[in-house]
Amino acid sequence: MSMLSFERKYRVRGGTLVGGDLFDYWIGPFWVGFFGITTAFFTVIGTALILYGAAIGGTWNPWLINIAPPDLKYGLGLAPIREGGLWQAITVCAIGAFVSWIFRQAEISRKLGMGYHIPVAYSFAVFAYITLVVIRPVLMGAWGHGFPYGIFSHLDWVSNVGYQYLHFHYNPAHMIAVSFFFTTVLALSLHGALVLSALNPPRGETVKTSEHENTFFRDFIGYSIGTLGIHRLGLFVALSAGFWSAVCIVISGPFWTRGWPEWWTWWLNLPIWR
Amino acid sequence: MAEYQNIFTRIQVVGPAYPGVPLPKGDNPRKYTPGHWHLLGRLGDAQIGPVYLGWLGLLSIFTGFLAFEIIGLVMLDSVNWDIRQFVRQLFWLALEPPPPKYGLRFPPLNEGGWWIIAGFLLSVSVVLWWLRTYRRARALGMGTHVAWAFAAALWLYFVCGFFRPLLMGSWSEAVPFGIFPHLDWTAALSIRYGNLFYNPFHALSIVFLYGATLLFAMHGATILALGRFGGEREIELAVDRGTAAERGGLFWRWTMGFNASFESIHRWAWWFAVLCPLTGGIGILLTGTVVDNWHQWAMQHAFAPSYPPESWNALPDPLTLAPGGAR
Amino acid sequence: MSYAVKAAAAVAAALGSFALLFTFERPPVDTVQTGYRGLGIEQVYNPRTEAATLAANQLPEVIARVPAVGPRAGQVYQNVQVLGDITVAQFARTMAALTQWVSPEQGCNYCHNPNNMASDEIYTKVVARRMLQMTARINAEWKSHVQETGVTCYTCHRGNPVPAYSWYNNDRPPRAAGLAAGQAGQNLAAPTVGYASLPNDPFTPYLEQASLIRVQTPAPRVMPVKPGIKDAEWTYGLMMHMSTSLGVNCTYCHNSRAWYSWEESPPTRTNAWHGIRMVRDVNNNFITPLQPVWAANPNGPPTGPAQSRVGIHGDPLKVNCGTCHQGNYKPLLGQSMLRDYPELNAVTKIDAPEPIRQ
Repeated sequence: MSMLSFERKYRVRGGTLVGGDLFDYWIGPFWVGFFGITTAFFTVIGTALILYGAAIGGTWNPWLINIAPPDLKYGLGLAPIREGGLWQAITVCAIGAFVSWIFRQAEISRKLGMGYHIPVAYSFAVFAYITLVVIRPVLMGAWGHGFPYGIFSHLDWVSNVGYQYLHFHYNPAHMIAVSFFFTTVLALSLHGALVLSALNPPRGETVKTSEHENTFFRDFIGYSIGTLGIHRLGLFVALSAGFWSAVCIVISGPFWTRGWPEWWTWWLNLPIWR
Repeated sequence: MAEYQNIFTRIQVVGPAYPGVPLPKGDNPRKYTPGHWHLLGRLGDAQIGPVYLGWLGLLSIFTGFLAFEIIGLVMLDSVNWDIRQFVRQLFWLALEPPPPKYGLRFPPLNEGGWWIIAGFLLSVSVVLWWLRTYRRARALGMGTHVAWAFAAALWLYFVCGFFRPLLMGSWSEAVPFGIFPHLDWTAALSIRYGNLFYNPFHALSIVFLYGATLLFAMHGATILALGRFGGEREIELAVDRGTAAERGGLFWRWTMGFNASFESIHRWAWWFAVLCPLTGGIGILLTGTVVDNWHQWAMQHAFAPSYPPESWNALPDPLTLAPGGAR
Repeated sequence: MSYAVKAAAAVAAALGSFALLFTFERPPVDTVQTGYRGLGIEQVYNPRTEAATLAANQLPEVIARVPAVGPRAGQVYQNVQVLGDITVAQFARTMAALTQWVSPEQGCNYCHNPNNMASDEIYTKVVARRMLQMTARINAEWKSHVQETGVTCYTCHRGNPVPAYSWYNNDRPPRAAGLAAGQAGQNLAAPTVGYASLPNDPFTPYLEQASLIRVQTPAPRVMPVKPGIKDAEWTYGLMMHMSTSLGVNCTYCHNSRAWYSWEESPPTRTNAWHGIRMVRDVNNNFITPLQPVWAANPNGPPTGPAQSRVGIHGDPLKVNCGTCHQGNYKPLLGQSMLRDYPELNAVTKIDAPEPIRQ
């Protein structure tokens, strides 16, 4: 049940980075490995802490649960557990779990003889998270600059931090990040649709080939990037979206303290306009 | 141990260009001799062209160009035809929709009339382009998934520029054509209607936006990681599962306990990408027409968190205290 | 393309990217939390600009106080219309202060005919009298905004005959007719709204007229008459002006998740609310009535350096938040000069309609 028909021949030992054969086994569909153990360790503790935070927070409504970072007055020090210390502990657990997950992906990649693209890609997301809760708070001098853990409370944080810079849409890196996000969705819809349209032709037609995919796009816009290229392009735009998101928040505060529209005065004041 | 990770094509085979699968009878022949561009070939296919020029596509480009020209000329006029200021302030300039006093009537050309004309031409352009996606797929005997995905984007476009202004009874609610001005509009929409972050459909749209990005990163990375097994041959592997498909599936199964197939991953992708504008459009359509203040709506439905007011004692609305009483 | 061209393009791109880095600031930064933790209600400052801010807000030397004994100015001098109740010595001190604050280079003769100090023939004297009335009104009637700190001439003038920050009705696009006449007063890079492309004259509707600033309806359901997105853009323009004039961000007065909510707003918002009404009172009851005087002298007194006193429509230069605040959360960083010059509160008649409270 837990194994696919072809799976047994792939379930062989080896490929681990740490721990040798010790953790080289499966539980149901999951492969364990040393980093599976550490992932589970951090996840269990982190989740327990979140539940504890909810318990002392006065609400079990999942939309309202809020675990907030410390006041700015604690700077880069430890805060009492009920006044942001919980947030700090959960952050440590989250980073532990996320980083463990990267290495777990790397081990599974090795096990299956695959490239390391997946752990590298995932590390961009982890980098964006660490930027929000570690790099930017450290640059601004207080853990209190991290975002609160809560479904709608974190949106309140996003709103207020945006309006700390008067009009966040004028943040150039935010513009680039949003453009990459939209481009990624466009490219993904085109790629998914193209493959589905080749595999699901009208009634009575046979399944089409990648020659048809290429021809459709050349007919359509004069260029087809090809079956390999689309995955390179997709990976690039998706990772760029995450990367520029991290840039857009880390420059807000540490590298710019005023309204973002005012940043553009360097352009308005270039000597070429005189 | 550095090894090749399939980021760029290292050796390009240059041969005769591929003319494309045959077109059905009655279609025009494809135009332009295909060329090759080496740099493109590093990333994907080097071949450029041929292209199919049908009257749908040509008309679409023509009407799109007209809209683009109108927008540009009005912008140029707004800086008194000063090319230097046009370039300097290009991001700030806009073609603005009509002021509220005109409602849904046709205003004078220089008070939003040009906006309506440009918007109409652009709408014609994108609808013709939609027809082109549909017809080109059918001409090759393929499914019309691209067209329906594009239709989801058109839904969002028409909600912002047509359906919602129609329901609000004023063109002034529509989006201006301009770089910064459309961002001002976006911010003002959220401010006016009480914080879009509390609009559940906006939240869903963002989930699908980020989800689609996550999916493309996962999918793109998986296929590239399977490069040495020919993982990019998705059609073949979907029809006849090979080792690349098996390894790709097992990777995710072993990682997170679940995996898609080489066909179903593209269904996940398609739905995430399509639901992003679809839910976003619903969220915009409800804003101002059904819900006037999303934050208050969230409080009514108990999903807006509250915070201890420990830093200050909130003061009452001075308007209710001013002489003359509440207004 | 030759390799030389490619190399040159690469070098130019690298240089351009490097130059772009200098358009930013750098850590460390100063932050002040004013709201609940994790809510992002906080001010962010660049500590390297603080020295310049302190230097720009140095108070001038206080002129030595004089005892309130002796004959009244109104009994000794002719044509003393508003400061007649203070003693001659206090009057002289006040005149010296006014000169120091408003026309330090031009001296007494900026307002007075040296041969006949009582004469109102130089128009600036008429203006100065009106401004004394305005100052007294602000200090007496607008404590809801200026608190006990109060204002003096220096709050706005800072040694300049014309305050550095003012505004006039500017509803004109660069091109009054033509394709783009209907730009809704926006879509240009406008310093008045912090260089956004928002409506760039938010002053006329909100600081002269009493247009409705509130755009969020209090009820969650549809209302019969509603402001639209364009109204929100105008309000946003005014708020950009307030933020940039005070050197603070939006969270100084608002929890941005619910702009309308007074329950979630810091008390600074109430102070700002009164400030908007105060500016309307000042502009409509003190500045605009002087319009004919400035219209007759559109470039100032014949002796002084020519500097425009009126806008493109002939309306006078008016007051906004920046006129007093000049980039600081409190004018002169909250230092009270009025405490040292109680004479300014001795103005005998205000000669203006009741304050505009709405």
